[in-house]
Amino acid sequence: MISFIILMSIVICFSAVLALALNFQWGSGGMVNFGLAGFYALGAYACALLMLKGGFNTFFATLGAMAIVAVACGLVAIVTLRVTEEDYFAIVTLGVGEMLRLVALNEDWLTKGALGLSGIERPFNDWVAPTSYSYVMLGFCALMVAATVWFLNKLARSPFGRVVRAVREDDVVAATLGKHVLWARIRIFAIGGALIGLAGSLHAFYYQYIDPTQFSNIVIAYAFMAVIAGGRGAYLGTILGASIVMVLLEGSRFAKDLIPSLSSDQLAAIRIIIIGVGLIALLIYRPQGFLREYRLQANLSGSKQQSP
Amino acid sequence: MLQTLFNGFVTGITMTLPALAVTLLFGVLKFANFAIGAMMTVAAYMAFALNAQLGWPLLPSTIVVAIVCGLLCIAVDVVTFKPLRDRGSITLMVASLGLGFVLENIARLFYGNSARSFAIEIARPFRVMDIRMNKEQMITIVVSTVAMLAMYFLLTRTPVGRAMRAVADNPSLALVRGIESGRIIRWTWFIAGVLLAVGGVLIGMDRAIEPPMGSSYLIAVFAAAIFGGLGSPLGAFLGALAIGIVSEMATLVIPPNYRIGIPLCVIALVLIFRPQGLMGQAHIRR
Amino acid sequence: MKKFTRRDVLRTLGAAAATPLSAPFLNLAHAQGANIPIGVALPMTGNAGAYGPDMGEAARRTADLINKAGGILGGRKLELFIEDSESSASVAANLTQKFINVHKAQSLVGYWGTPEGMSSRPIAIQNKVVLMVSSAANAITEGDTQGYIWRFQMRATDWGIVISRAAERLGFKSVGVMGLQNAFVLPIMKVFEERMQAAGRKVVDSLVYNPEQPSYRAEVQRVFGKKPEAVFCFGLLPDFVSIMREVYRGGFDSKVVSLSIAADAEGKFIQGVGAQAAEGIRHFQPMPDVAAPGYKRFLKLMGAPADRIFLFPPNTHDQIAITALAMEKAKSPMAADWSKQIMAVGNGPGEQVDDIVEALKMVRAGKNVNFQGAGSTCDFTASGDQLGRGMGQWVIQGGKQVFVEYAKP
Repeated sequence: MISFIILMSIVICFSAVLALALNFQWGSGGMVNFGLAGFYALGAYACALLMLKGGFNTFFATLGAMAIVAVACGLVAIVTLRVTEEDYFAIVTLGVGEMLRLVALNEDWLTKGALGLSGIERPFNDWVAPTSYSYVMLGFCALMVAATVWFLNKLARSPFGRVVRAVREDDVVAATLGKHVLWARIRIFAIGGALIGLAGSLHAFYYQYIDPTQFSNIVIAYAFMAVIAGGRGAYLGTILGASIVMVLLEGSRFAKDLIPSLSSDQLAAIRIIIIGVGLIALLIYRPQGFLREYRLQANLSGSKQQSP
Repeated sequence: MLQTLFNGFVTGITMTLPALAVTLLFGVLKFANFAIGAMMTVAAYMAFALNAQLGWPLLPSTIVVAIVCGLLCIAVDVVTFKPLRDRGSITLMVASLGLGFVLENIARLFYGNSARSFAIEIARPFRVMDIRMNKEQMITIVVSTVAMLAMYFLLTRTPVGRAMRAVADNPSLALVRGIESGRIIRWTWFIAGVLLAVGGVLIGMDRAIEPPMGSSYLIAVFAAAIFGGLGSPLGAFLGALAIGIVSEMATLVIPPNYRIGIPLCVIALVLIFRPQGLMGQAHIRR
Repeated sequence: MKKFTRRDVLRTLGAAAATPLSAPFLNLAHAQGANIPIGVALPMTGNAGAYGPDMGEAARRTADLINKAGGILGGRKLELFIEDSESSASVAANLTQKFINVHKAQSLVGYWGTPEGMSSRPIAIQNKVVLMVSSAANAITEGDTQGYIWRFQMRATDWGIVISRAAERLGFKSVGVMGLQNAFVLPIMKVFEERMQAAGRKVVDSLVYNPEQPSYRAEVQRVFGKKPEAVFCFGLLPDFVSIMREVYRGGFDSKVVSLSIAADAEGKFIQGVGAQAAEGIRHFQPMPDVAAPGYKRFLKLMGAPADRIFLFPPNTHDQIAITALAMEKAKSPMAADWSKQIMAVGNGPGEQVDDIVEALKMVRAGKNVNFQGAGSTCDFTASGDQLGRGMGQWVIQGGKQVFVEYAKP
């Protein structure tokens, strides 16, 4: 049991990194990413291929995957050049994500198509005995989550963090204040992309086998649920959100032993319905999530008089 | 070649109703509804239940389903979107994404994953100038054209339609003129629901009915609506035809399994070079 | 030295963390100690969702049969943990972890699809647990499996060989090929095309399509438009239904040949397209030798009529049976021991037995057996591939599936 909990914790960790990436792009930057599953696949495949075909070690493969997804995301952000409405951008991300998954499925020569890539190396594999490897993997993944949260919080408190929020709240005002909005958007999406690349790499390390079916659109529902539950812009909350989603998903598997009358077919559908309903309910009743976004604490007593 | 052109025309005309629904919803509610695919799937399954399981003919089934779907859309709006209306389009889009997952899986909950078809005899084609056409394609063309004309009449000749256009153009001005936006929004959802239901049935006639059937059209339908100019009904109609023809013709040169790339490229090109689309009006936000 | 310390610390930490959490489970684990856990991952949902329930029933009945006859290893009972793999790679991988770590299973059976098999393969090898799959893709048993991966199904390449041989006999001069982008379809297509060309037949076109496409009009137009005598369409049920509707309404008249998982799918195909559009479609599927006594015995076990054809449940039966036999032969529930006995009980040498209870008795008595399963003769190559399973061929006539022949590669 305990080793199963450890393995689930690893899954929570890399789901959390993915959700954190989305939280930065969408929660902080206001750039919704409906192609998350495709970019996630890109990260996992880039990492795996850099090792299997490029001969890189796990460290450089991860860095490479982060760079590749960052560039891909940055390029996508360019379409907001003239149209800044979120709706158009969301549709574009959906399409690009779909396209990336099709490439993974169809380019046999590179990705082995539906067969998937196996034999993916893991970091620190030769340091420890296979039986205790899961502890190392958990430690590594947890470290990555901590580093991501630290980095994003640092970023939120930096001048760029303020630009990010300004672009989200009102890009016209941001532009009027002399901020280069397009460049900021590209950077927001690319930074999120790098984190998606990291999450994808961790996914590849954990499963050691990736194929296109692992990156279905359900991934998007889970990630959005994690971000909304945790609170948009609240990075620590995202970890909580990712844990809730995972416990809900895996818990429902154990729950089946209790309610045998439901067919698994229906159970799978119900699980997604619960996620979807939960997502909408949280949006309506608890839009701020469980934890709050970092806000610059202004000296309220001084500024109060200025407001009308 | 001619056959492929005709196939593309059929593919395009199948998408006109959902594209109209998208553009109408966007025009009045100002957000892209990602649940339209799943809404069509649910409608197709409802028609399947009446037609194949209860043995009704397809036409009355479709009419009933269209009305039910229209009312359902109003209900869904009240439960889901209304409380979120003033939170901005991103929140609405995310909610619609969640709604899409819910609807598609409700269909899966009742009918599982296997492919189904309406209880209609499928027939061999007839030939016109050596182009093969079949009965369902004729029905699709007729129904879509009629729906388009009805929409045109509705938007230009009826008070509701004029009010919808007014709200779409400028919500605050419409409010000043005494147009009650709540009523217009309900009408919009109802009409969109009817369009999506009929669209879902037409798609179900064209291919097998299965849970992902509606969402597989999502990108192409959005591309059609954007190409035509989001918010412009005539644009959506023309956009759907254009996307259908271009992506079907493209299979002569590119591998058919990358067809989805065509609508995507169209979106990207439109956004970069003519953001207002084919028929849309250039406008500055705010 | 330093390395050792760090690992030590981690282990201590892990154990400390484990104590409070695992306390409630300790009793459970102890109570189960007498039972032998077997993880059963079956497709209850997803594109193969139709097959899971019967496979689960077969597993349950087989385990009951063995348990009623006194179990194995001196009275220990088989305990099945049946779970839904959702026809998905990552779900199957998580399940495999759960089977191994929570239920302490040393035998994993079911694993219908290639994604499930491929994602669970490295986990099984790492943990030294036997994985018995029902999937066809060649890659499952390729490479170093250390004797832990066993296929209870025909290899995809062999499917292609049987089908191409049948196509030659049917006398098709020109053929078109369409295939779903899928790990087990591609090797079939490859072998099929090679063999057809070698036999001097013309392959006019060959294309691969994606699952869940909005329509298949362009694909159908491209391949059928070239008017080959026959089109071989290797896919699954949902895409094949859409394709055949398109073919019929498009007025194409090439003969269509497919796989039974698409063109039969437990009757769902004819239900989906109607008898007219389905008329004349030939389809192939690996199947048990229905004349074999092992299969007849299996039908009785399932309480099914004598003419019922189960495609996959017999494999699940065989997987459980071979697990039990190999464990009994090795006198150990540990996969590291009994995996080495799989070929001994499956291939012989020894007396041919098709009754699992009888076979267990003989093994217990120290005799050699050559178990003859329900799904195949349960003979294996050293690399873990199954021999002795053939393919059935059917043709749809008047809305009915008409059996044509049974052939081995």
